[in-house]
Amino acid sequence: MEPIKYVSCLNETYQAEGFPPYRWSEFDSSPWQPFEKPLNQTRLALISSGGIFKEDQAPFDPWAVNDLSFREIDVDVDFKKLNLHHNYFDHRDALQDFNVVYPVDRLKELAEAGFIGSLAPTVISLGMGRLYKRTALQEETVPKILKILQSQNVEAVLLVPA
Amino acid sequence: MPTIYLGSCRDMMELVKPPRAAFVNFPLGHQCGKLGEPELQTQILKDALSLFESAKSPGKIEDLEYTWDVPFTWQDYQKDISDMLEAEGLAAQNWKPNA
Repeated sequence: MEPIKYVSCLNETYQAEGFPPYRWSEFDSSPWQPFEKPLNQTRLALISSGGIFKEDQAPFDPWAVNDLSFREIDVDVDFKKLNLHHNYFDHRDALQDFNVVYPVDRLKELAEAGFIGSLAPTVISLGMGRLYKRTALQEETVPKILKILQSQNVEAVLLVPA
Repeated sequence: MPTIYLGSCRDMMELVKPPRAAFVNFPLGHQCGKLGEPELQTQILKDALSLFESAKSPGKIEDLEYTWDVPFTWQDYQKDISDMLEAEGLAAQNWKPNA
């Protein structure tokens, strides 16, 4: 089945409502960081933008615009203490099983099984929504996230954009 | 820091060009698999994470060979969102141009 053309459909929908064209992030090339260790000796971190937060953390705005914040969530936090605020996708399945956008249980199992070396203790969780501040994201948010990952000796990251 | 991008918006991925990317052609909100199917979730993650070792050139999107049970379209996406908002009593987006 042909993938949905989200970019053109979203452009049409929002522009029909009078919004200016959205500047999609577009790059001409990709950076390349070599991956030199075997995966089963590598410490992996998860970054998900599924809008998940802990009950004692500030909730995300489910219709976020320009939200550059993130939450740090311990991988051992009980899923019952998590919530999800994100209305840009149908989150009903995710509310029943966060693993569909926040695969912490599966990654812990993969670490246990030796498929990955280990899972970093902190998940970085974002909400984001529509972003008109890409430079701030790159220059302010990303360095903060990188510092946390480096402090946990993370060697590779799984990104789950939602 | 090497990364894997596991996503379900192929056209956005083509614009962003993540260094290592896996595409799952599922409705948004299921990038890591289906509800109630932990084995499928595990397999999708294994396929995606394997790109750390197998990907040889930057910017290539690996199309993972999984299919959703029924075809889904942009109209389905919009309907799912509006059904969800109604079912959960959530507010529609109230952000307006020039707000």
